[in-house]
Amino acid sequence: MGKYIVKRVLQFIPVFLGVTLILFALQNIVPGDPIKLIGGDKALSPEVELQLRVRYHLVQSDEDGNAILDENGDPVQTSLVDRYLYYMNGLLHGDLGNSYQRKLPVTDIFAQKYPYTVKLAACAIVLEAIMGIGAGIISAVKRYSFWDILVTLTTSILVAVPAFWLGMLLQLFFGVILKDATGGAFSMPISGAGGSSSQYQDWMHYVLPTITLASVSTAYAARIMRSQLLDVMNQDYIRTAKAKGLSNRAIIVKHALKNALIPVVTYIGVDFGGMLSGAILTETVFNWPGIGYEVYRAISMRDWPIVMGGVTLIVVVVMVINLLVDISYAFLDPRIRLGGPSDKA
Amino acid sequence: MQETDSQSQEQATATKAASAPAKSRTLWGDAFKRLRKNKLAVIGVCWIIIVVVVALTADLWAKPWLGSPTASDSTTMAETSLLAPCAEHPFGTDALGRDILVRVIYGARVSLSVGIMATAISTLIGLVMGALAGFYGGIWDTIIMRCADIFLAFPYVLFVVAMIAVIGRGLQNVFIAIGILGWPSIARVFRSAILTVKENDYVDAARAMGASDARIVVRHIFPNSVASIVVYATMNIGGAILTESALSFLGMGVIPPTPSWGSMIQDGQQYLLTAPWMMIMPGLAILSTVLAFTLLGDGLRDALDVKMKDA
Repeated sequence: MGKYIVKRVLQFIPVFLGVTLILFALQNIVPGDPIKLIGGDKALSPEVELQLRVRYHLVQSDEDGNAILDENGDPVQTSLVDRYLYYMNGLLHGDLGNSYQRKLPVTDIFAQKYPYTVKLAACAIVLEAIMGIGAGIISAVKRYSFWDILVTLTTSILVAVPAFWLGMLLQLFFGVILKDATGGAFSMPISGAGGSSSQYQDWMHYVLPTITLASVSTAYAARIMRSQLLDVMNQDYIRTAKAKGLSNRAIIVKHALKNALIPVVTYIGVDFGGMLSGAILTETVFNWPGIGYEVYRAISMRDWPIVMGGVTLIVVVVMVINLLVDISYAFLDPRIRLGGPSDKA
Repeated sequence: MQETDSQSQEQATATKAASAPAKSRTLWGDAFKRLRKNKLAVIGVCWIIIVVVVALTADLWAKPWLGSPTASDSTTMAETSLLAPCAEHPFGTDALGRDILVRVIYGARVSLSVGIMATAISTLIGLVMGALAGFYGGIWDTIIMRCADIFLAFPYVLFVVAMIAVIGRGLQNVFIAIGILGWPSIARVFRSAILTVKENDYVDAARAMGASDARIVVRHIFPNSVASIVVYATMNIGGAILTESALSFLGMGVIPPTPSWGSMIQDGQQYLLTAPWMMIMPGLAILSTVLAFTLLGDGLRDALDVKMKDA
């Protein structure tokens, strides 16, 4: 087990290096000069521009922080390799650099934004676990009943719904059409309405984004739960339990669920990692100040430190969660031995 | 009464089948028969055909009937903008007075072409990568699968957005961005298919007869894994349509005024209170089309008896 964990953690390294390298390459390919964009509509004076380039380590500078000029009087660009090493060095010291646009350390920005993403993801994953597992069990136990058909239909539709559209429909339904009935409780977080972050302190504001974010995954979780439970119910040990005269309820709760739950729990775990990556679409629709929208905005503003820092954070979180999921898998299912000659496809 | 009817029908088909030996006993012939019995899959196929035909023939009838999907007439805009659904404009009109129905119809062209082209690109890259990794193994396997891990480690939507930032907006670039980023899953499917097929005796036999690697992969291994690839690609079309709509919704998709379902929803966002039909109609179009491809994919999976992971 220990060996397996070490091996997996070592596998992080090439993936991590690959992701950061791709991002670095992107910075150079993407058209648009981020420093010129800082000024917005106004053009920056050449001196200020040069100072900014020095500050962000885009041109070479001497010890006093003055840009080194070549014989033509042009600043000398720092090489991509140099900048990559500079970034990685900062990263290892817990420094993700400063945002071009916001003039703040990237770590501060994420310290402020990430909790919103985590809180929303936590709410959504709880909803997903309860609704997905519950609906899956009901539809498997009462196979071909009205409830089974309802669950199957709903999940098929939810999988095909664009999440952002669902979010807007929820806003329309609860915020506009039912405004009087709900006392306007859900009407506030309509996108584009703006407002300070204080509006999110009310738990009501979590309801619609949570449903939106959880919708598709809940449908998948329910489908997996249903097919797994049906699978397990066909196995010999369940027949033995039936032959012993156990009640249906005891069979399902004590015998079938334990095994059927494993893949569902794995799915939900991996999905949690995905949600912690931020949900651009849900965040955009609900004006939610999370990390997904922040990184998306940064890409369009060419604010590379935020993009780099954000994606680095996301990738690390996702890899750690996936590792935890795999380890817990081994605990839940003793038949699985980690670290063996695995050829997982 | 109904029951006896269907029973006698079943008997009739049974006797017919018994008297005339079944003509097609190929994998695809059988699969087609099973698919035809799956009502949901048939509904999906019908809907896909309707959408394709409507999108292809739109120039002939939709434009003369409902007007241009892109141009707006500023002289009449005051009277024609934001009309609720009515006889003249079945889906209503948008802020520029353009008919929503005709824009939804033309938006189908974008969605369908992205779905098909992006899937074609992903499948092509995925097949080559999967073949290299699965067939040669060793260092190829390690490099390609690590690359796949890197691609899958990125948050998907952000990756597509970044890709569009590099290559620019526009329909072709949307094909490319979604297509290129979709290869790892197909590569994994094909790789594992190859790993199971590769050990079969007939592959050894082919090798003993002096067949080249390429010939073995194309003639012997591919036909045995094509079923899972077809199922996967069908499902992937729906996924690509959803991704395109998300991109257009974020303003990173096709360039206006070309109508796309996602950008129409984005347009409708600010009129949510006054003209909700602006976002409802294109959303229904996405939902129904993606659902149709999912139903077809599910049907194909059952008909071809492909074992897939659920997620």
